[in-house]
Amino acid sequence: MPKREPSIFARLIVLVSTALTTGLVALGAAAWYYALEAANQAYDRLLVGAAYQIAEAVTVQDGALTVEPPASAFELLALSARDRIFYRVTDTHGETLTGDDGLDRDGAAAAGAGPTVRDATFKGVPVRLARLVRIVSDPAVGGRVEITVAQTTESRAVLARELTLRATILLAVMSVLALGGTVFAIRYALQPIGRLAAALAERDPNDVSPLTIETPRELKPFVSAINVFISRLKARMDLMQQFIADAAHQIRTPLTALNAQIELLSHRVDDPQGQHHLSRMQVRTAQLSRFVNQLLSHAMVRHRAGVIPPGRVDVVATVRRALHEAMPETLGRDVLTTLELPSEPVEIAGDAVNLKEAVKNIIDNALRHGAPSRLALRLRECGDVVEIEVEDDGPGIPKQTWPEVVRRFGSPSPTGSGLGFAIAAAVAAAHGGDLGFRERDTAGFAVVMRLARHPEEIR
Amino acid sequence: MRIFLVEDTRDVGEAIVERFVRGGHAVDWETDGQEASRILESTSFDLIILDIMLPGRNGFSILQDLRGNGSETPVLVLTARSEVEDRIGALDLGADDYLIKPFDFRELEARARALMRRRHGDATNLIACGDVVIDRSGRSVRVGEREVHLKRRELTLLEILASRPGRVFGKEELLDHLFGFDEAPNVNAVELYVGRLRKKLEGARAQIVTVRGFGYQMLPHGQA
Repeated sequence: MPKREPSIFARLIVLVSTALTTGLVALGAAAWYYALEAANQAYDRLLVGAAYQIAEAVTVQDGALTVEPPASAFELLALSARDRIFYRVTDTHGETLTGDDGLDRDGAAAAGAGPTVRDATFKGVPVRLARLVRIVSDPAVGGRVEITVAQTTESRAVLARELTLRATILLAVMSVLALGGTVFAIRYALQPIGRLAAALAERDPNDVSPLTIETPRELKPFVSAINVFISRLKARMDLMQQFIADAAHQIRTPLTALNAQIELLSHRVDDPQGQHHLSRMQVRTAQLSRFVNQLLSHAMVRHRAGVIPPGRVDVVATVRRALHEAMPETLGRDVLTTLELPSEPVEIAGDAVNLKEAVKNIIDNALRHGAPSRLALRLRECGDVVEIEVEDDGPGIPKQTWPEVVRRFGSPSPTGSGLGFAIAAAVAAAHGGDLGFRERDTAGFAVVMRLARHPEEIR
Repeated sequence: MRIFLVEDTRDVGEAIVERFVRGGHAVDWETDGQEASRILESTSFDLIILDIMLPGRNGFSILQDLRGNGSETPVLVLTARSEVEDRIGALDLGADDYLIKPFDFRELEARARALMRRRHGDATNLIACGDVVIDRSGRSVRVGEREVHLKRRELTLLEILASRPGRVFGKEELLDHLFGFDEAPNVNAVELYVGRLRKKLEGARAQIVTVRGFGYQMLPHGQA
C-alpha cells in the first residue's frame, strides 16, 4: 500500500505552526531575559541607594569607626514585602563592623570605588548583592570600609515573570491571529484545486469533451494534461467503435453470403459423399458465425459499458425480449420454458442493449449445453438488487470451473466460443452486480445475474 | 403469400428467394433502398424482409416511413450491424422481429411464417379459457400465476383452440392452420403438438380434450 500523503492544507498548517511556535519560544525566552534585566535594574538602584545611605552613616567617633544604619536605608527595600534584606559593613581590617557576619565572606575585593552589583547565594538562598567601598581618611582610622547590602530575589523574579507573562500573552495572541490568517489564506489559495476536483467529480464518466474550467496558472499544466488524456481516450473510443461497426458489417456480410450459397448448394447435391462434405461445411460455417457473433458481441458490450450513459431499463421487458431472440423457433427438442416475472415493470439504471445481450447469452448457453427439457426464467427483487435467474435441468457446470467459465475464453467448448458467460459477467459488472451460479439440486442448475437497481443516477 | 425482400447482397438474396419460392410464396426482390421505398408506397405485401445497410436508403428509414404511413405489414429485419452505438433497437422502430446475420435459413423461414400467420389471425389481444390467458400482443401465455413460453406453432394451436372453447377442431383443419402445404406433415404432427401443449398447460383449470375419431376441443375445468 502506498504511503498516505498528507494534504497540502495539513502540510502548510504544520509548517506555519512550527515556525510560529519556534518564534513564540524564542521571543518568550528573549522577553524573559529582558524582563529580568529590567527588574534587576530597578531593584539594583534601590539596593545601591541603600548601600550609599549606610556608607553615609559610617563615622569616626573617638578614634573608632561606628556605623548606625539609618532606618530610611531599608525603607525602600522593605517595600518588597516578601524579600529579606541582609547587610554587612567591614572595617579597615576587613572585620565585620556590623550586620550579618557571613555575608559575602568570599567576595573578591572590590576593584574600584564605584558600587558593584552581582548575584550570589546567602544561607542557601539566591540573593542580589551590592557592594560599595568607602575610603575613610581619618587620622585615627584610615583605609577601606566595605558596605555590602543584599536582598533575596523573589520580588525581582515575580516582576520578571509578570513582565514575561504579559509579553508572552501578546505574542501568543499575535501567533493565534497569524495562524488564523494563515488558515484563511491557505483555504483561499486552495479553492481553485477544490473547484477543479469538483468539476472532475461531477463530470459524466462518458463525457469525453475537454475540461473548460478556468484555473490559476499553477494548475494549467494539470488541466491540459487531463485534456490531452481525454482527447486520446476519445480517439481510442471512436476507433474502437468504428472498428466494431466495420468488423461487424464487413465480416458478417460475406459470411452470410457464404451461408446462403451453401444453403443453395444443399438442394442441388445428390451425391451422398457431396452431401456429407456439405453438411460438414454447414457445421463449420455455423461455428464460425457463432464465434464471430460472440466476439463482436463481447467487444460491443465492453465498449458500450464504457460509453453509453445508463438509462431507464425495464428488466422484465428485457428478459422477455432476450428469450424471444435467443430461443430458436427451430430448436429440435421440446423444452418447457416457464417465466416467473413480476407483473409490473422492474426498472433499473442501465443499458437495455447490453442487458438483453447478457441474458440472451445465458439462455443460449443453457440451451446449448443444458436444458434437455426444462428452462425457467425468474426475476427477483431483493432490496437494491435485481436477480435474473436462468435455471435448466441440464448437467450444470462443476463448481471448480465456475471462476474459469466467466473469463474470456476461460472454458472453450467444442460447440461454443467460451465467451457467453464472459459477456454476461462483463454486463453484470457494468451494472454494479455480478454473475454467479447455483449448484445443481433437484430443481436444476441455475445461472444468477445480479444487478444493482441504481448503480448511479439515471440520466 | 407475397413477400417483399430488400437485400443488396446478391448471394444472400438468391438463397432467400429460392427458400421462400420453394415454400410456395411469391417473392419480389429489390436491392436498392430508394427503389424499395418507392415500391412500398404503391404495393402492399404480406411480409417485408428488410436489410438495414442498403445503398440508396437505409432500412431503418424505410421502416420509419412505412410505419409513419400507418402500414401494419409485418417486417422482419435482417442486420449485419453491431448495436455498438444504438440507443434503440430495431424492434422499437417498428420491426416485428429481427435476425442477426449470419442467420440459419430454417430459422428465418420459421420466424417469417409465424409473422405471416399472425397477420391473418383475429385482432383480439387477450384470449382466456379457464385460467389460461393468452396475450397476443405480448406473445405471452399465463397458466394461473405461471407464465409459459410457447413456440410459435404451439401458440398458434393454443390460440385456435382457446378462441372457441368447446368447439371441436378436426385434425385436418388444425393441420392446415399449423403448417404450410410444402411442409407436408401428417396428422401425427398435430398429435405431437397437442401432446407438447398439454404438458405445458399441466395444472391449468382448462384442458385439451380428445374427441375420439374427430379432433380436439379445449374446455375450461369442470365442464368436461
